[in-house]
Order: sequence, then structure tokens, then C-alpha cells
Amino acid sequence: MTQNDRMQYRKQKRLQRSAAIWSALEPFAYLLPFMVSIAIFTLYPVFNVVLMSFKEGFRMLTGQYTAIGLGNYTYVINDKYFANALTNTALYVAFVVPISTVLAVVLANLLNRKVRGMALFQTAYFLPMVTSITASGLAWKFMFSRDFGVINQVLSWFGVDKINWLQAPSWNIYALIIYGIWSILPFTIILLLSGLQNIDETYYTAARVDGAKSGRIFFRITVPMLAPTIGLVLTINTISSSKVFNELYPLFNGRPGHSYNLYTVVYYIFDQFYSKSKAGRAAAAALILFLIIFVITMLQQLIQRKWTH
Amino acid sequence: MNAKTKAHVGTLLLAGGFLLFLYGALTIIVDNAIAFSTRTATAATAEPRINESLFAGLTFAGIALMAIGLYLNHSWQTRRVVGRSLTYFFLTLGAVLMIFPFFWMFSSAFKTAQEVATFPPKWLPSRLSFDNFVIAFAKADFARYFLNSIIITASSVFFTGITTILAAFAFSRLKFPGRDLVFTLLLSMMMIPFEMLVITNYETIALWRMIDTLPALVIPFLSSIFYTYILRNFFLSIPDSLYWSARVDGASNWRYLWKVMVPIARPSLVTILLLNAISAWNSFMWPMLIINSPGNRTLPLGLYVFMTDAGINFELLMAASTVVVLPIILLFLFARKQIINGVARGGLKG
Amino acid sequence: MLVEMIGLTKHFGTTKAVSDFTVTLQDGELTSLLGPSGCGKSTVLNMLAGILPPTSGQILFDGEDVTNLAPERRGIGLVFQNYALYPHMTVLQNITFPLEIQNVPREERLQRAREMAQLVHVDKLLERKPKQLSGGQQQRVAIARALVKRPRLLLLDEPLSNLDARLRLEMREEIRRIQQQTQVTTVFVTHDQEEAMSISDNIVLMKDGYLQQQDAPQALYNNPVNQFVADFLGNPPINHLYGALKNGQFVLEDGSAAFTLPMDVTAIQAERPLVLAIRAESAEIAQPGEQAVFDALIESVYTMGKEALAYLKVGTQEMRIYIDPDEGHQAGENIRVALKQRGVFLFDRETEARLL
Repeated sequence: MTQNDRMQYRKQKRLQRSAAIWSALEPFAYLLPFMVSIAIFTLYPVFNVVLMSFKEGFRMLTGQYTAIGLGNYTYVINDKYFANALTNTALYVAFVVPISTVLAVVLANLLNRKVRGMALFQTAYFLPMVTSITASGLAWKFMFSRDFGVINQVLSWFGVDKINWLQAPSWNIYALIIYGIWSILPFTIILLLSGLQNIDETYYTAARVDGAKSGRIFFRITVPMLAPTIGLVLTINTISSSKVFNELYPLFNGRPGHSYNLYTVVYYIFDQFYSKSKAGRAAAAALILFLIIFVITMLQQLIQRKWTH
Repeated sequence: MNAKTKAHVGTLLLAGGFLLFLYGALTIIVDNAIAFSTRTATAATAEPRINESLFAGLTFAGIALMAIGLYLNHSWQTRRVVGRSLTYFFLTLGAVLMIFPFFWMFSSAFKTAQEVATFPPKWLPSRLSFDNFVIAFAKADFARYFLNSIIITASSVFFTGITTILAAFAFSRLKFPGRDLVFTLLLSMMMIPFEMLVITNYETIALWRMIDTLPALVIPFLSSIFYTYILRNFFLSIPDSLYWSARVDGASNWRYLWKVMVPIARPSLVTILLLNAISAWNSFMWPMLIINSPGNRTLPLGLYVFMTDAGINFELLMAASTVVVLPIILLFLFARKQIINGVARGGLKG
Repeated sequence: MLVEMIGLTKHFGTTKAVSDFTVTLQDGELTSLLGPSGCGKSTVLNMLAGILPPTSGQILFDGEDVTNLAPERRGIGLVFQNYALYPHMTVLQNITFPLEIQNVPREERLQRAREMAQLVHVDKLLERKPKQLSGGQQQRVAIARALVKRPRLLLLDEPLSNLDARLRLEMREEIRRIQQQTQVTTVFVTHDQEEAMSISDNIVLMKDGYLQQQDAPQALYNNPVNQFVADFLGNPPINHLYGALKNGQFVLEDGSAAFTLPMDVTAIQAERPLVLAIRAESAEIAQPGEQAVFDALIESVYTMGKEALAYLKVGTQEMRIYIDPDEGHQAGENIRVALKQRGVFLFDRETEARLL
């Protein structure tokens, strides 16, 4: 090997080495912005909220706390507003999820037929999904108005007396539920519709050739084959409905119901943390909410696995 | 009666019933419409000039006749026609109910204060005037809110787009130890509701002294695990051979990403960015926590504050609401398919 | 370009994809890497391309060690089974893409792309998107894209597998024509022996990661080094008769037939388990008085135009031979079969090594 050859060789080796170092580091360069922001705003908060929930008398910014213990949890569990929030949220979920799912199954089936004017129908059905809850909630607030509301007018055609949806505490939750169904329906229809479109056309053809009537086809083919999608919809909707919060603001002027009768779990968390500056209690309530959601999800998965063998 | 005459009678009843139904229903509708257009500005309500119950009776009689007709003639052709009509009927009914709040919002945005405060409510305004918008914009700085919303939506879309593209590329195409494990862990994070993170994130923003600033509305949402997940899946569906062809041709990873992958993934990317834009535009809880001064409000927050200030001036509230929803509705009209596609993959909520 | 692979080995965890693979490819030749799926041929190709780093061994291009060189610095062109055309670019953009990356001036880029398009006969499709092309056209574009930067080595990974039978024949000839016109050293990976036989200057036959034999196609066919090579090449597959030598005669396993072989078997140990491999065209119906003859029964006859394939029973074993369809032989007929000199091999039953 001549001197020149050797230098050439070393140069090449050096090039190869730096290329190897870069190819090992390159993925992390691509990941850096993503990972940093996820670490700060998702991973760290997950751990922090757990810690915070055990810090009694925690003060934000100074980071001081009086003791470590279960005090926040015992407070929240014994708080009658939290109990109220749990009941209201459960009631809301119990109405909104099944009703919206049944309506969505029917409507998705109608939309899945080859109808003309699909663009028009899709626009009408899916618009509530993309529009601001605050804005559409205001429209509903107006529609629910006791004296000038269009809902009471329509009801009057059937001889129903004026209902005080928004000011009479006992009616508040029904207003919230009706509005909730309307706003969750588009999303539910879309999921079910895409589930329907995944069912192979040949099943229907085969059933029709065998002489099955449309009702039978619906219950014996469509519904069972849609079962996994329905399960998914139930899970997602249960989770999102149990986080009902934003909807309260336009309907009740930012209060949880007309006379603080309609706390929901997330509103409670928010209230503790923001209005009452009790971040520890808020964290404890948030963890309880997460636990409930987690258990419900697991249960639904379990049932679904059994159901669809 | 033999089967053939039965069928004929059935068809006849169906046709007759349908005509009766049309006559009854249309008369009621047309009469109401005429009543609207001929009423004077001073008259509070428009009175129908016909005997409504008579025509309602005719309508229901038509429905009954059609039912009997169907009972007598239920050949598959008839059933098909009736089935399709019912499909359209229920679809239209549902569509009207779903769209009604928007109709109500838009129509009330043009009503006068008197027209809004009447019972029974008026379906349409008596005149087309933008007064309510002018008043609303004068009472609250909606122009400013609008600008703020545009700024945070645009920057959120831009930054999320970049972090998502880079991360999805790293998680799908580049190799590093523990890649798939890390990704699975991140996916499990999607189950955690934002409500749980909000307390700490508020604390972080406060520590950074960014409370009541516009960047604070964007910074916590710079990256999304969900969007990265969607885009990564799309990237994974692009065959390896394309990558190696480009590498052999001398393209670096960076060049391959922007010259080949991103153009191919454009439909997916557009969907993600649309979903992101919609949720940034509509976001309410986080701005409400962070923003105090009027100059930094976004549209939904501004609308909410306006409501607590304006009280029950529904005509103004509806005008302001219209301003908030209109851009998104236009976006939806233009990109309906992509948005629906994105949502079908599980997005937007949850 | 002279390509040398020396002791090339690739392990994936505990699986050994390629073992001690030493092969030299001559400049300007088209070499097929042939073998059943999973034999390691694609792994070899990927190592040549720089996509996979070898576990050990060396790759030399014209004597230069490229073993650890990144793909883009090897000067190779690559064509995949699925063509890997960029779906969002037109044909012209696809072909110019490699030049664009090398910062070739725009004018030259277009000119070279047009020349290449003419060579592969896609010059009328330049503005189309890949989706608007047939499989054969996509293949042509992929070849043009691989060749436009004038690679030292063209690598084709199962390029014809996604085409239907007729197009496959056409593209096979096209690849041969383009290769001969450009004189680029080419490696062609395939599992189809017929394809490899018809297209290559040279075949490298692999099995389980090991090189079996490297030779010109006809040499490989006529002179296999072991039973695997003999079995893998040729259609219909070579016949097997199992038996051993006794008193200079080949006796079937169960003694149901015995006959003399048309070769000198004195060197082979008697009683050793053997496989007598006979190509279908290497046996014929015997003329009276011929040597190396045995009895057989025709079980069935399949006529295919100019020739017919007869399924025979020899003792208790079976074989297929070509017969003249016009002689009117029929199932159930007893015939005598004579072996030719060529295309008859003896392999060791245990080691599969060629004995004669």
C-alpha cells in the first residue's frame, strides 16, 4: 500500500464511520419535536396527576402541600356535589348512549341504501359534528326557551304545556340529554355507516336469494355482522359522554344546571381546580373518573369478546 | 274478489291515497307560506286562512288509504316503491331535525328583537338585515376573536402537521431500538382523557408565565398521538421497495420523506389536518382556562363571554353564533368526504 | 463490472439465510440467481444492493470493497417485483427522479430520460401516471428508471412474477434485448427455472442459503452436480427410479425390475442405495435389438400437439417419457423402453451427490 492509498483508505473509513453515526442518530432527530411535546404535555402530566392526587392542601405554582395521603380521595368521595356529579353523569350516559346508538343504527341503514342526494343528506346529518358546541348550544338554548322556544311550540301542537327546560331544575338534565343525543349522533352514524359498508354485499344477495324478507335480513345478518362496530361505538360513546362538560356552558350560562343541580364529573374536576383552587382534589376526582372509564371499557371489551365469540 | 282485481284495487287505493296525502299536506304548507309572505311587519303572527284540522284530516285519510292499498297489493314492485318512499321520508325527516338548529340559528340571526321574543315563534325573519351582526360586532370585538381563532388554528395545523409527519416517518420507516415498544406505549396513552392532563398542563403554562397568551393555546397540542398513529399506518402501507428504489437512486431519508412519502400520503395528511383544524377552531375548555383578557379571546370563548354579557338577546347571540360556525360549515361543504373519512377512522372525539 | 462475492453470509437471528456464498459475476453478463423460495437469493440481491448488511464476507465491485457502502454510493440500478414506481409522479418524472437527486442539469436530465424511454419503448407514455399503465408498461418504466443513471450493476428482483403468462414471455425477451443493447452487468432473481434458462448467460442455483452450482444454462441442465440441481431444472421434472446395482445391472428397490444402464458403472459399489434420474426426453420406446432396455406398462397418455407424454409403470415405480403421438400407443399397452446416453444420471440416495 502506498502512502496515497492509505490516506484514501482512511478517508473512506472516516466517511463510513460518520455515516454510521448519523444513521443511528437520525431517527431521534425526527422524533425530537414530537417526543419533547408529548413528554411535557402528556407523559409528565399522567405521572404528575397521580402524585398530585395524594398531596393534601396542594398549592399550585408554589408546589407546597401539607401532607401526603388519601385526604383528597376521602374528601371527593364524601362530597355530596361529587355524588351529584356521578349520578347526573351516569344518568346522562344511560340515556344518551343507548338512544343515540339505536337511532344511529336505523339512520345508518337508511343512509347505506343507494339513495339520491347523498351529499345533501350527509351534510345535514354530519354538520353538528364539526360545529362549535358553544355555538350550536346557544341555538339549542334558544330552542329550549320556555316562552319563545320552538320546541315548546311544536309540543303545543300535541297539547303539551310549556316546559321550563332550562330554568326548572328537574327538566335541566332532559334538555342536556336531548342536546347531547343530537350532538353525538353524527359521529355515531359515521362509525356505524363505515361498519355497514364493510359488510360484504354477497351476504345480502345470498339471503335474498334464499327468500329472506328485509326485516329478517336486518336482524339476522346486518345486526350480528355490525355487532363489533356497535361494541366500538358503545365504548367510545360511553367514554366521551361521561366527559360531558362543554355542553353545560351555553345551556346554563356556565353553571352546572340552573341552580347548581347538574354537576357532571368533569365539571366538578374543573370547578375544584379552577374556581376553588383545589388542584389535589381535582386530581383525585380525575383519577376516579379515569378508573371508572377504564373499568367500563374493560367490561365492554369482555362482554363483546364473549358475544362475538 | 280474485287476486288480480285485489291487486288493481290496491294500486288504485295507493295512488288515490298518495294524491289525497299530497293535497292535504301541500295545502297546509302552502297556506302557511302565503300567510308568511302576506303578513305586515306590525302583525305579530301570521294566521292561517284555512281550516287546518280539515286538511290535516285529509292528510291522515290519505295515509290510511295508502296503508289499505299496500295491504291489498303487496307485490314486490309495490313494496319496493313504498319501501324507497319510506326510506326517503324518514331520511328527510331525520335530516330536517338534525339541520334545524342551524336553520334556527341563521334565521334568528336576521330577526328583530321583537320577532325573537314572540310565541308562537316566527319561522322566518320579516326582512333581511345585517343589523344584528353590526350590533354584535360593536358590542364585542368579534373581529379580534375571529383573527385570534384564525391564528391559533393555522399555527396549530402547521406545527402539528410537521411534528406528525416527522414522528410518523420515524415510527414507520426509520429503525431504532425499541421503536415498536415505544409506539405501543404511546398508543396506550390515547386512553387517558385530556381532562386528566389539564391540571398539570395549566400548571406548566403558568410556570412558563404564558397564562393569557395566544401561544399557550397552541403549545400543549403541538403533537398528537392519534394523528401520528393514523399517518404512521398510512406510511406503513407504502411498500418498502419504493423506499429502497429511492435510496439506491441516492435520495436521503429527508428527501424521500418530502419528495415521495408526503405527496403519496396527501389524502391522509389533508384529513388529519382538517380534523386538527376543526378541533382547534372549536376548542373551548383550554382557552377558557388560559385566556383572561378580551384581546386574546378566541371565537367560542368570545361567544360564551358575549352570552353572559348580552343576556338573552337571542337575535344578537344567533348572529354571533353564525359567525362562529360559518367558516367550519364552509370547510365542511368543501371537504366533506375527507372529514367523514377521517372521523370514520375513529377520530375527532374520544 | 466484475462482481465478486467472497464468503458472503447473512444470519437473521438464528436463521441462516445465506451461508458462505462465493460467486463471481463477469462483466456485461446477465446472471440469474435461481432457487426455490426461501433459498436466500433475494437476500443475496439485497446485500448486493446494500439494503442488507452481510453478517460476514465481502462484496467487491471491480476489486473495490463495497461491503459497507451505502446503497446510494454503489452505482446500482434496482427493479422490484412490484415495480415501485412513485404513484404521484408521471412516467417522465419517475425516470428523471434519480437524475434530479444527482443534480444533473435539467436539459441533460430530460434528454437522457427520453433516450431511456425510447430504449424500453415507453416514449409515448411519458405524461401518464403509473396507475394508467399496464403491468408490462410499468415494468418497462421501472427498468428505464433503474438504467437512466447508467448504473454499473442492474439488479432485478423477480421482475416478471406480477405479470400474466403472455406478458411474462414478452418482457423476458425485452429484458434480454435491453441488457444486450446496454451491456450492463445484470443480476436477475427468479424462482422460475424456465425463465432463468431462457434469459441468462449464467445461472447461479441456490438452496437453503448455499450455492449449488454456477454455470451456463445448458451446462447446468446437461451436467448437474447433484440431485437437487437435476430436479430443479427441466419440465416435466426429471424421473426418479430408486434401486441399487447388482451384478452390473440396476435393480429396483423391491426387485420388480432390473436392467443394464447405458454407462460404465464398474466404479460404483454394489448394493449402495441409488437414484437413477432420467429426463423425460432421455428415454424412448425401444427399437428391436437395442441395448439398455427394460419393460414398462403404459398407464395413460397425454397428447399435447407435437408430442405426447406417457405415464409408465416400471416394476412398481413410475416415470414419464415423451413418445410420438402418431404411433398410436394407448394405456394398458406393454412396451420396452430404451435409455439414451444424455440426460441420464446416477445420484447417491443419501448424499444426493452425482456419481455418474
